[in-house]
Amino acid sequence: MVIVRRKELSLSERLYLPEIVRGLSITFRKLFEKPITRQYPEEPLPKNEVTRGQPRLVVKDDGNIACVSCGMCEVACPAYAITIDGGETDRPIEREPKKFEIDMLRCILCGFCEEACPKDAIFMSDELELADYSRASLIYDLQKLKRPKSALQKRIDYVYRLNNRWRKSSSTS
Amino acid sequence: MSPELQEILVWIVKVHVIFLGMVGTAAITTLAERKVSAWMQYRHGPNRVGPQGLLQPLADGVKFLFKESLVPEGANKWMFRLAPALAAAPAMLTVAVIPFGPDVTLFGITTPFSIVDLDIGVMYILAIGGLSVYGVIVGGWASNSKYSLLGGLRASAQMVSYELSMILALLSIVAISGSLDLREVVLQQKTIGDWNILYQPLAFLLFLIAAFAETNRHPFDFAECEPELVSGFHTEYSAMRFALFALGEYCAMVVMSSLAVAFWFGGFSVPFLPDAHWALGIAAFCAKVTFFLFLFLWVRWTLPRFRFDQLMNLGWKVMLPLALANLFVTGAVIAYAPQLKALWQNLFHGAS
Ligand code: SF4
Ligand code: SF4
Repeated sequence: MVIVRRKELSLSERLYLPEIVRGLSITFRKLFEKPITRQYPEEPLPKNEVTRGQPRLVVKDDGNIACVSCGMCEVACPAYAITIDGGETDRPIEREPKKFEIDMLRCILCGFCEEACPKDAIFMSDELELADYSRASLIYDLQKLKRPKSALQKRIDYVYRLNNRWRKSSSTS
Repeated sequence: MSPELQEILVWIVKVHVIFLGMVGTAAITTLAERKVSAWMQYRHGPNRVGPQGLLQPLADGVKFLFKESLVPEGANKWMFRLAPALAAAPAMLTVAVIPFGPDVTLFGITTPFSIVDLDIGVMYILAIGGLSVYGVIVGGWASNSKYSLLGGLRASAQMVSYELSMILALLSIVAISGSLDLREVVLQQKTIGDWNILYQPLAFLLFLIAAFAETNRHPFDFAECEPELVSGFHTEYSAMRFALFALGEYCAMVVMSSLAVAFWFGGFSVPFLPDAHWALGIAAFCAKVTFFLFLFLWVRWTLPRFRFDQLMNLGWKVMLPLALANLFVTGAVIAYAPQLKALWQNLFHGAS
């Protein structure tokens, strides 16, 4: 059982008016304070390599896509957002995706695909904005997902740093 | 031009200037409300339409016009459509007798700057202002919704109880100025020393509190009371009908502010300049009204809402006795003024 003891109000508090004036003076002072609202489209969010935006596919420096369409990310994706159709090439690495689609409306930006990928082919970019007029146009295909490696380099380095930390701690134990 | 025709023309111009001025003020107040609330809460407020969001009221108006105006099933259609007009009309009618400025001389024509100069202006305002409760209760009843009905009932109970204290507060001013004509009341307060606030501060306080209750503003907005009643009497209203309720509320705020200024703060008299130009007089009136409008917003975004029983207690057990006592004391002082003066002098001379 909780006993709530009400504070005995003083006369000036019971008269309301002095307290009302006190409250008014507080709100008046707040009038002149700087707003803390961010004016979003004009003042975008700060982004860095830790920002986990939408997943993007790495295009290697030789112009080929790093993905070998192994399907690991497709399996790892908890939102079933990824659809892959594998295909063959004449290059030493014989596989590449013929179709690679991520439904951005399903993607929950969890980053599991990034973790699952054995070939460092998919990384979370810092691209966050997602708006269009139809659902179909928000299913991103290969063309829309490809990013040169240099654009994702910061994130790649960050992920490596993170993974190395794990490696060190497991080797010492 | 014959004098009659000229009079009619002058009258038409005055009606337009004053009426449009008031509706414009009400529209700007809707913007000011959101701006002030935003600033008090570290926000920006509307700032997308026009420079600094200044055209927001216009955008709102256009939006209201294009929205669908719903009539709920089972509602009393005639009453439902009538209520917004009933709510907005009284506030707009009362503006007719408010003296916004001294005699204006323009193009060689001199005319007092108010739509009419009724010699029973105070009576007129109280009578018409009392009608505004019908809009609220008819709207609440006709909507066929329990929230609306409760809101309407609360509003009517509240308005009726606070009207009494308000009338008594105004009467004590009428008693000391000896006139029911608003212009006359204002003209008697030429300098700051004559402002009624110095003689009737208690009446002013009572009037102010009652004005908040009469206009259904915070901390007395029981007619709306979002957490309990969704939106009170206008829950079921949409589009322009809803806008009319809002317009009525803001016009009532303008009228109440004007009344406070005219009765207690010298109306259009300019402080320290008893014989100022008429334009300055109008500006002074507008400035004073602006302050009171700001006070309405300021209080709304500061205080929490009362509880309904507290509201009734305050109205009947505190405000009414105080207002009665105030009126009684005022009357006694006026009636026995010579004797009191003599008594005072006797005491004073006896002591010295
Ligand atoms: S980030 Fe998560 S949800 Fe999005 S595609 Fe990758 S695994 Fe699927
Ligand atoms: S896990 Fe990597 S390599 Fe495998 S399909 Fe996905 S992106 Fe391609």
